[in-house]
Amino acid sequence: MMPRSRLIIFTGHFGSGKTEISINLALQLRKSFERVAISDLDVINPYFRTRDVADLFNKEDIKLIAPSERLSNADLPIVSSDIYRYISDDSYKLIIDAGGDKDGAISLGQFYNYWKGLNPEVVFVLNANRPNVSTVEGAIKSIESIEQASRLKVTSLINNTNLGSETTSDDIIDGYKISKGISEKLNIPIINTTINKDLINETRDWASINDVLYIERYMKSPWEA
Amino acid sequence: MAKLLMKGNEVIAEAAVKAGCRYFFGYPITPQNELVTYMAKRLPEVGGVFLQAESEIAAINMVYGAAGTGARVMTSTSSPGYSLKQEGISYLSGAELPAVICNISRGGPGLGNIQPAQSDYFQATRGGGHGDYYLPVFAPASLQEVADLMGDAFDVADKYRTPVLILADGVLGQMMEPVEFSDKVVEELPKKDWATTGTRGDGGPKIITSLDLDIGGLEAHNSRLKDKFENITKNEIRYEEYEIEDAEYILVAYGSVARIAMSAIKLARKAGIKVGLIRPITLWPYPQEPFIKTRDKVKGYMSVEMSAGQMVEDVRLAVNGHAPVSFYGRNGGVIPTHEEIYEKIVQLSGGVKA
Repeated sequence: MMPRSRLIIFTGHFGSGKTEISINLALQLRKSFERVAISDLDVINPYFRTRDVADLFNKEDIKLIAPSERLSNADLPIVSSDIYRYISDDSYKLIIDAGGDKDGAISLGQFYNYWKGLNPEVVFVLNANRPNVSTVEGAIKSIESIEQASRLKVTSLINNTNLGSETTSDDIIDGYKISKGISEKLNIPIINTTINKDLINETRDWASINDVLYIERYMKSPWEA
Repeated sequence: MAKLLMKGNEVIAEAAVKAGCRYFFGYPITPQNELVTYMAKRLPEVGGVFLQAESEIAAINMVYGAAGTGARVMTSTSSPGYSLKQEGISYLSGAELPAVICNISRGGPGLGNIQPAQSDYFQATRGGGHGDYYLPVFAPASLQEVADLMGDAFDVADKYRTPVLILADGVLGQMMEPVEFSDKVVEELPKKDWATTGTRGDGGPKIITSLDLDIGGLEAHNSRLKDKFENITKNEIRYEEYEIEDAEYILVAYGSVARIAMSAIKLARKAGIKVGLIRPITLWPYPQEPFIKTRDKVKGYMSVEMSAGQMVEDVRLAVNGHAPVSFYGRNGGVIPTHEEIYEKIVQLSGGVKA
């Protein structure tokens, strides 16, 4: 997955998997580029956020733009002003992980004038097993509300359809069909399908004829090893 | 119905709607906001009413009003908000009104923090407000269990005319898991002939109140309530046992901590330590039976909690001196890891045999 713009903005309905994909992409980009930054613009979720894997970014030499540690667990919708520096520094690949739905997308709107000239890749992440986005119409409604709140046009899709630990290849293929439907209706490409690494064997055949990125999961429940 | 991937707070809300809840009065507080947000969108779709009250105190009193009409009604909050609702819950219990309340608990005391905690156990299981009352407390450990329990919570509320509490820590509210909503057959429930829906020349006025100025009258009322609580204790206890048949040591944990404890037990079993788990699903009434049948066989119990030690008191009462009871916990928003719990099991059992 090599994005065409140095600025990649992940949007999506609530719980679509933006954070996992953002983290995976940051790690992948860092293998090819010296300077990679990831911005946690999630003003919605109190747990399971990009900032919660700060140690990983530190180790991998990826710049995390997030509220200061002192305030990272405050119940406040903080947007770090550090982000401006990375928007204007074109030596950086910049990944933006926003909160879900139009409410999460609101935090993107304020940067409109800063990144409108940068031709950002605005990705809509779809998990068709989430409520309200299991149909093409439902997903398009979600896209439209996010576009309005973020003042951005969605430019591509990622199919991240899954059922957590119970995902089957059928779920992924059904989600791909819905992504295809959205893609045709809105005339935007599907970048790829993202699949948990645990499912490599079950999905090998399908992955051989479709664009697939296998991802690691970082947002784990406390009882998972 | 196909499975969906959902967040805990959403599951509580959707399962409540599926159980016939059409009224929700609440006030936002982290980490349960998604529940309020979900209800705001969902209830108008099914002809229900969502109302964001001006405070938790207002919300619980709106619940009192709606419950008085016989409607299925719910409110949700997190720890500090649950404290604010206590007066209203005591009134609901006194006036014998059915309602479901959710506490997606966080670190305390005081404003505490927004991380998960189980330190509202005392408050949840000892009534919480003033007066002689208890309320049934359900403590699910997975999102599928949440989906399955919500209907039962409303049924228990209606059947016994009592407020019911769903107690889940912030992890359960915020995590995502696949769930399937079943079309549960609703139990045949008694008619709500006490509801204040107006009289039609069919009897005297219906009055719902927790006020009783007649001293003997209030005692008689409380004695009826006591019988009701005994009835609930007889009929509604739920728990799960895990690997206890041959266990020499038994962990006791509820909610998300029970799942961490299970991971620790798997590690310990691999190391040859015979350890099992009792997981109370109802925290009040508290399950006595699994303790009574194991307490003369095991070498000890350990209560594992995200608190400074609260449920351990109920474990001691149930074990009643027959075996040693110890405690391990983290609190203030810190979640114990299964490695930590495993280490405690090793210590408890006197070390791993080489």
